[in-house]
Amino acid sequence: MLKTTVVVIGGGATGVGILRDLSMRGVDAILVERDDLGYWTSSRFHGLLHSGGRYAVKDKEAAKECIQENTILRKIGRHCVEATESIFVRAPEDSEEFEQEWVKSCAECGISAVPISMDEAFKLEPNLSRKLLSAYRCPGAAVDGFRLLWQTVASANKYGGKAMTYKEVIGIETENGTVVGVKIRDRWTGAEEKISCDFVISASGSFAGEVAHLAGLSVNVKPSKGTLIAFNHRICNRVVHRLHKSSDADIFVPHGSITILGTSSIDSAPDDTSTETAEVMAMMEIGKITFENIYDYRILRVFAGTRPLYSADPNAKGRSASRGFVALDHAHDGINHFMSVCGGKFTTYRLMAEKVCDIVCEQLGVNAKCHTAEENLVDDPSPDLISRAKAVFPSYGAELASSRLGNEKLERVIKRIETQPEMKELVCECENVTLAEIEEVASEPTSHTVSDLRRRTRLGMGTCQGTFCAYRSVGAVNKENMPWAKDSVYLFKEFLETRWKGIRPVLWGNMLRDIELTRAIYDAALNLSGVEEIK
Amino acid sequence: MAINKQHAIDPDKCTACTICITACPVTAATRKFRGPKMTGPALTRLRKLVSDDDPMLDYCSNCKTCDLVCPSGVPISTLNMIAKNEYYKTHPRKSKADDMLAHSEKMGKLITALPLGSTFANLGMSVGKSFGVMGAMGIAQDAKMPSYASESFISKFKKIKQTPYPRKVVFFSGCYINYNQPEVGTDLVKVYQKNKIEVAIDENFVCCGSPMVSGGYIDDARVNASKNTALLKSWVDRGYDIVTACTSCGLMLKQEYQELFDFEGMAEYAAHMYDSIEYLAKLHDDGQFDTDFANDNTKYIYHAPCHLKVQAIGRPSMELLPMIPGIDIEEADVGCCGISGSYGFKADKHEIAMKVGSKLFNRIKNSHAKLGVCECGTCRLQMENGSGVKAIHPLTVLRQAYGL
Ligand SMILES: Cc1cc2nc3c(=O)[nH]c(=O)nc-3n(C[C@H](O)[C@H](O)[C@H](O)COP(=O)(O)OP(=O)(O)OC[C@H]3O[C@@H](n4cnc5c(N)ncnc54)[C@H](O)[C@@H]3O)c2cc1C
Ligand code: SF4
Ligand code: SF4
Ligand code: SF4
Repeated sequence: MLKTTVVVIGGGATGVGILRDLSMRGVDAILVERDDLGYWTSSRFHGLLHSGGRYAVKDKEAAKECIQENTILRKIGRHCVEATESIFVRAPEDSEEFEQEWVKSCAECGISAVPISMDEAFKLEPNLSRKLLSAYRCPGAAVDGFRLLWQTVASANKYGGKAMTYKEVIGIETENGTVVGVKIRDRWTGAEEKISCDFVISASGSFAGEVAHLAGLSVNVKPSKGTLIAFNHRICNRVVHRLHKSSDADIFVPHGSITILGTSSIDSAPDDTSTETAEVMAMMEIGKITFENIYDYRILRVFAGTRPLYSADPNAKGRSASRGFVALDHAHDGINHFMSVCGGKFTTYRLMAEKVCDIVCEQLGVNAKCHTAEENLVDDPSPDLISRAKAVFPSYGAELASSRLGNEKLERVIKRIETQPEMKELVCECENVTLAEIEEVASEPTSHTVSDLRRRTRLGMGTCQGTFCAYRSVGAVNKENMPWAKDSVYLFKEFLETRWKGIRPVLWGNMLRDIELTRAIYDAALNLSGVEEIK
Repeated sequence: MAINKQHAIDPDKCTACTICITACPVTAATRKFRGPKMTGPALTRLRKLVSDDDPMLDYCSNCKTCDLVCPSGVPISTLNMIAKNEYYKTHPRKSKADDMLAHSEKMGKLITALPLGSTFANLGMSVGKSFGVMGAMGIAQDAKMPSYASESFISKFKKIKQTPYPRKVVFFSGCYINYNQPEVGTDLVKVYQKNKIEVAIDENFVCCGSPMVSGGYIDDARVNASKNTALLKSWVDRGYDIVTACTSCGLMLKQEYQELFDFEGMAEYAAHMYDSIEYLAKLHDDGQFDTDFANDNTKYIYHAPCHLKVQAIGRPSMELLPMIPGIDIEEADVGCCGISGSYGFKADKHEIAMKVGSKLFNRIKNSHAKLGVCECGTCRLQMENGSGVKAIHPLTVLRQAYGL
């Protein structure tokens, strides 16, 4: 039986932040995640490292936390953050009084907001609508969810923290009103086991209600779904916000090779990640105010995540519910050493973890202070390693691969190519992912599906959305030494279905043409649907 | 100055179908080139994100075969050229030849301005070669360079006495005809006069900029485009049609300007632009083409230049030349000759260019044709260089058949 001091339930931003913080304070901890790391909200989000500007008028506390954490994450998480800066733009339909109040509020919160002329704004971002009236530069940035989670776990690993994926918590065990362990089930084998522990922290996001229920408690989370639209290329090189009272579809975030427009806010079930075409069209109409040629840009896919909004009042709904996070100590409900943490923002994940761990450590009698703001998540690759990478990776590949792989894995991938040069062939041409990288990630024990590889490498996330890399990657992993990759048809279907889910609501124009090609390859040529021969 | 045509750097139309890769002659010739899909639309997305060494850009010859086959209308080669232009703003050039080959007009002017300049220049080419000077410059040692004419087309043109006709065209001769093969220009005037067309020229025209674009000097080409656009527009306003006898000039003026730049009047004059043979074919459609030909019992083989194909005007030469009694002419139809303007002259690209052209060379040799026919000057040079069979412009075939 596994034994540890603290079990953290949930491998989203909140959970991994707590795992790292506890590990760095010397507290034994294991994180259990039902799916893959970042499978839910911590990747189905906008990817914006808030400057705080969005909250400056309405919630100064939140705004100050954002700018503080933004500054810290740019440093400790520099391989996950694209320090793009952001531009706030006011359109004719936005109030001028709000602009004045916003400028004042930013100053109060310590958020730099530098006014620029519209000429300058158009020079910086040529696609901006010519109808816009004013613009400010702020220190917003883009953050890669998957990468930040894996690198946070890598940092925790150095201090003995462990994370297990595809393990679902199915029971929380108590003795005399105090937590003594959790029961988990392996999602692949169905095998059940117990982890005994002194403390359980549920960081299960929108599922916090379900997890609390395992201990017979109730936590009032109101999941609120937000849809995001991914465009095929970088429409802008900076985050672009509408300068008005926060609303739907008013932020564009450049993210790697793509741009993401978001978002919306609809009450939903915790696992509802569906999107309706009508929702997309409504968002496009609003997005058009910021980028007037928006309908010319190709939509790659849509995706949705649910905000784990907590509300003490069971009738509060939607955007007006508090965005602040809560740490509920269930001792008040009669169970000691059990906490539920939910709400908050990705941007403040480190700060939330710090506050939670302060409480937990006090209860555990641990005196260690939080050091998570002082140490980088992963080491920078040495100049020597970078130049070795440049020598073997295809153009535009070295820099991107080094920031997503981290030092040790990068070195192993480089070695693979150095010893077998054909390993530098691209499996994914759209996102520049080499065969060496796919094989390296596929050989890790945390990989179970091609989608797992996708989340670690960006495989299949570019223009063709899996059309060419699906058969290449399935071919690459179908090997003796990769026991998870035996059933090719399952691998194909799992990967392609998740890609198509995001494409169906936006199936028009070039994406429709693209998908017809995919269908021709997988349904016609490979007969993946298994249609019988017509006699 | 930045490229201001947004649609030109938009990779969104590509469906990643890979058809362009199967058609690219350079990809077929060397595994070192990753092909149009990667170099064009795929990497355009990543170039917006990171910068890196990009040796791939120099491999694209701008032959435009990819544009022709792309079912999605992606301006692939233009994406490549724009990327190349941007790239060399921050990276040193590998070859000294780039500048010289891209600015061929400068060279032409220099050489023909000197007394006996062409003789010395042509001599210099062969002497320079034997001393390895060309190699040091980055020019292929065994590439046959275009030789310079002793008198430019413009100077020859001024001595021609034309009969005035109501149908008038302005002829954009381009550098190759002006400095290297003026006889193609004089053939045009003769053939057009025979068809009751009066030909004008404009001494203020400058190089169309095609070699500058291919060499990654788009900013220089922009200056030329601005000058030519204003002039061409004014000729069209005066009721003239525009003809070219070099398919690269034609493509540049008619299509590439619009892909790359944003000057007033480009679309207007482009509607009145014709390839010299296409113009005659149009005359033929109206029943006004003069078919008073003498017999020509020669066997010819015709090669359609890539830059003609991509204009989507069919094969006007294969419509008109077969009308000559006794003629035996067939189309080679085996793709790119490899030279792509100045590409094949570069030391590190010569071998690729010869490999690309090898199908055509064999096709020409096996056809037992006496002469090759082609609208493009550097293609003709490459055909001769690779097959040993001399190649001439279709206007020359017509001029001979008219007995002029
Ligand atoms: C549309 C949208 C856009 C957003 N944009 C931004 C933004 O731009 N910037 C920003 O800072 N914030 C943003 N947010 C907020 C941010 O994404 C979330 O606050 C944050 O990701 C929540 O992380 P989490 O770890 O609490 O939840 P999650 O990431 O959902 O993690 C919870 C995990 O718990 C696991 N789990 C559940 N039950 C069990 C069980 N029984 N056993 C084991 N594991 C279990 C789940 O599988 C899941 O992985 C956005 C949110 C949404 C919805
Ligand atoms: S222009 Fe020619 S050489 Fe360049 S990518 Fe296209 S087909 Fe290949
Ligand atoms: S042919 Fe056109 S659509 Fe197909 S891959 Fe090439 S650029 Fe893309
Ligand atoms: S393309 Fe035409 S104008 Fe231009 S360099 Fe050649 S011959 Fe000159």
